[in-house]
Amino acid sequence: MKYALLSILALLFVNNSFAQDKYEKTMKKNLAKIDSAKSVESYIEAANSFERIALTEKDKWLPYYYVSFCYTLANYQAKENSEKDSYLDKADSFIHLADSLAPNNSEIYTLRGMISQSRMAVDPMSRWMKYGAEADRLFKKAVELDSLNPRPDYLVGTGLFYTPEQFGGGPKTAKPLLKKALDKFNNFVPENEIAPNWGREMTEQMLNEINKK
Amino acid sequence: MKIIYLLLFIIVYSLVIYSQTKISGTIKDVNNAPLPGANIYIKDTYDGISSLADGSFSFVTDEEGEAIFVVSFVGYKNFEQAISLDGKDKIIDVILEEESTEMGTVTVSAGSFEASDENKAVILRPLDIVSTGSDADIYSTLETLPGAQQIGETEGLFVRGGSASETKTIIDEMIVQNPFFSSIPDLPSRGRFSPFLFKGTIFSTGGYSAQYGQALSSVLVLKTEDLPKQTLSAISLMALGFGGSHTQLWENSSLSAEAGYYNLDPYFKLQPQRADWIKAPESFAGSMNFRHKTSDNGMLKAFTSYSGGDLSLYTPNLDALTQKDLFRMKDGNFFFNTNYREIFGEDWTFFSGYSFSNDYNKINLTSDYIEQSQILNTGKVTLSKKLFTGTFLTFGSEVQNIIYDNTFNIFNKKLNEMYIAGYIESDISISKDIAARIGFRGEHSKLIDKFNFAPRISLAYKLGKYDQLNFAYGQFYQAPAKDFLLQTTDLNYEQADHYILNYQYIGEKTTFRIEAYYKDYDQLTKGTIFTYPYFNLPLTSFTNAGKGYAKGIDVFWKDNQLFDFGYYWISYSYLDTKREYLNYPTLATPPFAAPHTFSFVFKYWLQDITTFAGVTYSFATGRPYFNPNNPEFLGDRAKNYHNLSLNFSYITSIFDNFTVVFFSVDNLIGYNNVFGYRYSTDGTIKSPVVAPALRTAFIGMFISIGQVNPY
Repeated sequence: MKYALLSILALLFVNNSFAQDKYEKTMKKNLAKIDSAKSVESYIEAANSFERIALTEKDKWLPYYYVSFCYTLANYQAKENSEKDSYLDKADSFIHLADSLAPNNSEIYTLRGMISQSRMAVDPMSRWMKYGAEADRLFKKAVELDSLNPRPDYLVGTGLFYTPEQFGGGPKTAKPLLKKALDKFNNFVPENEIAPNWGREMTEQMLNEINKK
Repeated sequence: MKIIYLLLFIIVYSLVIYSQTKISGTIKDVNNAPLPGANIYIKDTYDGISSLADGSFSFVTDEEGEAIFVVSFVGYKNFEQAISLDGKDKIIDVILEEESTEMGTVTVSAGSFEASDENKAVILRPLDIVSTGSDADIYSTLETLPGAQQIGETEGLFVRGGSASETKTIIDEMIVQNPFFSSIPDLPSRGRFSPFLFKGTIFSTGGYSAQYGQALSSVLVLKTEDLPKQTLSAISLMALGFGGSHTQLWENSSLSAEAGYYNLDPYFKLQPQRADWIKAPESFAGSMNFRHKTSDNGMLKAFTSYSGGDLSLYTPNLDALTQKDLFRMKDGNFFFNTNYREIFGEDWTFFSGYSFSNDYNKINLTSDYIEQSQILNTGKVTLSKKLFTGTFLTFGSEVQNIIYDNTFNIFNKKLNEMYIAGYIESDISISKDIAARIGFRGEHSKLIDKFNFAPRISLAYKLGKYDQLNFAYGQFYQAPAKDFLLQTTDLNYEQADHYILNYQYIGEKTTFRIEAYYKDYDQLTKGTIFTYPYFNLPLTSFTNAGKGYAKGIDVFWKDNQLFDFGYYWISYSYLDTKREYLNYPTLATPPFAAPHTFSFVFKYWLQDITTFAGVTYSFATGRPYFNPNNPEFLGDRAKNYHNLSLNFSYITSIFDNFTVVFFSVDNLIGYNNVFGYRYSTDGTIKSPVVAPALRTAFIGMFISIGQVNPY
């Protein structure tokens, strides 16, 4: 009897870990989709896949986070401003869902900063006052929540890299921040295989470009 | 024991033995066009796929039994259908219905220009409002839009043949009594409120919503900023004075305070003035702004400001050239506005606001003493309910109590106005291409003891992705101006009917808008009022026998495409208007109406010197002026008006603090504009009405402390 009960427990555990396994497996499969995506369509396809997981795993913030991330990346590939804004609207609504599941999460604040940064990039001349300040505040909060997170530094550095020198930007100003980001990347250990772990290659690329000059 | 094993068996069986169901089909819209990128899935499972470029999809699910098949796509209603996952192939072709609240659908927009940062298609951005013209005044930017006149001798927006009093300024839904600094004879005053306070501007040149009243021609609807984005201090140093501000931001609230001192004396010494100043304008201004976010959709705002000034000058006395008339004015304005907005449940939006203002002037005019004060208490409540997708019902009420207190030497007169209005309005989306707004407004004024009831209708028909056709009709009422009411309250509302037909194209990079209108004025107030400048004509008694019309075409073109780092806009207005009011003996084109008005605004970002440069050129044909020697009333025309102004904002940093150095010149080429002429009582001597200085230059510096770089 005891033995049978144990078997059931074991089986339930197996079943449970099977579900967990399926979650992680699908997440990993979808993360690979982000890595190989190049077009608006492929990012939306990835976003849709994450959204399906998000709608099933209603208590997990990561799927929502990645839906938002995919839409943010889709915005960079879009041509028309209204299209960019519509993807950023989507990104915004999904990151708020993630935020409500996991408040005060450094990665979520980082992505929110990235969305504001992208909003600014759509029409910098008329938007930098509003979204520039907003991105700045969100990145600061992200660092405050986790000083080891390399992504806020990477994104602030990227922003500076593309900001004209006279505005207090340019490659020279960006370099120390990107270096700091790289240091943090070198020591960064993601919580697990599906936790946010992007930005390292771009940081290295930009640093190489700066060093070449 | 057996039962347990049986249970075990069932569990194992359910894990091991399963079958697959293949689901395929296409996703299309109502016009049979494929929808790529739709998310297709089995509810509460991971299984699903995105539709391809041709709208087709196909996927396999391991799930079994009864399930729900879902299709979701941005801008469309979700599609759900029960499905049996029994291992047999399923083909499902789906037609998605558009969700009409999403971006890109039709919105009612006849008669209005909107500037906003929100992502929808608007004609201008808040930056345009701040950076046009030479003086960072909201009103001078609006004068570069079609429909508004170029008036240099007094303040106010003169829209489509309407006088300045026919345009009302509304801040956060509440009417503002004195949006300009106090008036000085033949000199323009600035707007009282900084353009930086506002995140959104709607300038309606006609046919506006039933939520607003007491404006025959136009409303300027300003929406204040929500929570600021950061804690910041700022200093401004200008040729005209200096000021400072601090904004503190907490998690869900913010408080900011601003103060400034302005004295034009040093500036007037440097730059010769045509007016004969005794004491150049000196003023103090302070304001406080509080914001509290009460929930995700709720916001409580409070704003208060005070400004006070002192000035004196001589104005020419055309009846006795050896004399000059003294004009001295001390003025003060206190303004308070608070409002609360919240969304309740799924469908209800609630707004309530209260505003108080006290505006006073003490004027010495030669040997006369005039004291005027105006106290306004006003409250407004608006409720809006979403009836179904795209259809809203909005209703509310507004109450104003205005106390006018006027003293002329020993004579004093007080008036106590109680004005009550109710309004109901519905935004209806009839189809995805047609939207309508139908509203009614009823008003009662205690002073004149009359009711009015005004219908307003606006229609929009979407032609393509970027363009639409608009139509608006409305009746508008306004109580007679204070100066009349002080003489008699036996008067009626002034009335105007608007008919507007508009075509607009708002593309990704270019905007084109053309609007034709007809405005029919009735019951305009007649009577002789001795406020400056009045026409020396036989006395007219007080009646509502006045009338008039205005018709014309407004054209607007904005191009963001031609230049990588710049853009421009062009406005042209044709106006044909006549009116009979005040002491006009007959129908005539009023002095504030030019038949042709043209503006060109060009902004360019000079990357190498981090300078934002702007050029504004304005032209208007000569306006009528009153010549007592001409038997034809208002038969004379002043010469054409030209103005070329430049402005530069140099962006730099001082000790790592983000800094803007602002420089502007008005009337760069020094064209001698004459707005009209004033005559002596006997008509023998005339004097031109001109700008206060031939050219005006302005320099200022704004430092944001703590903001290292704009990024």
